[in-house]
Amino acid sequence: MQRRTFIKAMGVGAATALAPAAVKSARFRPSLRYLRPPGALAEEEFLSRCIRCGQCGEACPNRCIKYFSTENGVASLDTPYIIPREKACILCMKCGEVCPTDAIAAIPREAGAIISGVKMGMARVDKKICLSYQGKTCGVCYRACPLPDVAIRVGMLEQPHVSQACVGCGLCERSCIQIPQAIRIIPNRKGA
Amino acid sequence: MSVQANKPLFIWRHLNKLRWLVMSLVFFMLILLPMLHVYQTYVSAHAYDLLSPSEQNFYDFMETITAPFVSDPENELDAIKGTTWSGTFFGLKLSDPLAAAGQVAASLKFYWPFVLTALIPVAFTLVFGRFFCGWLCPATFLYELNTTLGVWLRKAGLRTGNRRLDPRLKYIVLVLGLLLSAASGSIVLAAVYPPAVVGREIYYAIALGGFGVGAVFFVVTLLFDLLVARRGFCRYLCPGGALYSLLGRFRPIRIKRIVENCNDCAKCNAVCEFGLDPLRDNFGMECNNCSACIAVCPTDAMTFVVRMQDFPYQGPGHLGRHYRRQQGKKQTIDDSDEKA
Repeated sequence: MQRRTFIKAMGVGAATALAPAAVKSARFRPSLRYLRPPGALAEEEFLSRCIRCGQCGEACPNRCIKYFSTENGVASLDTPYIIPREKACILCMKCGEVCPTDAIAAIPREAGAIISGVKMGMARVDKKICLSYQGKTCGVCYRACPLPDVAIRVGMLEQPHVSQACVGCGLCERSCIQIPQAIRIIPNRKGA
Repeated sequence: MSVQANKPLFIWRHLNKLRWLVMSLVFFMLILLPMLHVYQTYVSAHAYDLLSPSEQNFYDFMETITAPFVSDPENELDAIKGTTWSGTFFGLKLSDPLAAAGQVAASLKFYWPFVLTALIPVAFTLVFGRFFCGWLCPATFLYELNTTLGVWLRKAGLRTGNRRLDPRLKYIVLVLGLLLSAASGSIVLAAVYPPAVVGREIYYAIALGGFGVGAVFFVVTLLFDLLVARRGFCRYLCPGGALYSLLGRFRPIRIKRIVENCNDCAKCNAVCEFGLDPLRDNFGMECNNCSACIAVCPTDAMTFVVRMQDFPYQGPGHLGRHYRRQQGKKQTIDDSDEKA
């Protein structure tokens, strides 16, 4: 009986010692390209502030906020995320209003506040796919952008040029008529 | 000899029905709120014609039930949001005390705007004890139905679990959960706390098209309750229950046994879902004031009382055999009513 208890205790001890490291390391899986809701804190602080209550998704009228199961690691379980190609964020800013812990900061729905406060990511054009860079005029992403001429401006043949003011909402990525999309949001994990 | 001294207020024995009403209402809200959310998204899309037939049916149904109350469903259906883990109630943000504790542990900082949302629930728990577990918890709603299922299975001849484990286990779960949250920087308790899981999973099922991992966890706890111990998770494993028990230890509103009316029938012990010992005045810090013992007592020997601690053991019930035998020994003559 003593040996069995000893082995059991060792097992429990090992599991307890390794658990925090396991939870931490399972957090960052670079292959998953997702955004956090607009106004979210930097990833590490976001994970420690978010209480997995689900109210941000409940408030989202656009139904773009989804919740992780185990695909992004145990630490991200039940946390909100957005895949812009599936459903982009329309920047209604309701999620920040309802978040009880301010893991998503409450940013007012005004252009100035959004441009300075929201940093979900940055759009990047793939010139090998973008039609406007292949000699065919497109411009759909420019028309989908909620901050036209501020975040995206167009040059010749409606070629999009993304500026530093891009907040990363993903409406351009959602609207791109190429498959795969020629413009995509590179997520920002340092405070959206 | 059988004078009923100190009759309890008549309303206490009906509280158990009110309790079921409140719990059913809370559970019903957890289903209604995600449905309202989906309806609101359809309204704000302004594209009724693009909805599929089943979505249109859903829209019509929701419109029928909300139209008498609101004229602008997009903006006027926001009075109650969220779950029992954290929600908004007519503009007031309220959170589960375990959420506050877990979040502080995960971030190792006090973010006061959030911690204070748990203040009112903590205050109520200090006064009424573990009342959330008995009166509000959506998991309790399902666990008590599960207990009834266990009774039916037993009547049908199947063996259900009836072990007695150590109720102190859940305090270890609470401490481990807080430590693990601190070490990992994530509120891991949210994944193993049944009311948070139930609220979230119902939302996932209605608004996001299906259950998640939490539903599997909850079903496992249901099986644990059936196969190992009645209400096993609440009694031995729930970290929230542990926290509320600690906060409710010196609750002023508690149940007491009126020993003059008690006949030692032990129906109170039989009905107590938490396996407490009301017959021996042993309610303890785990009593959630569910008042099932008050409702079942045939001689009106249970009542609410304002006292910071349980009564010490008052001895056998005065209407019972043991007491009457004791009294009979004290009287040297006249044992005529000792025929029991």
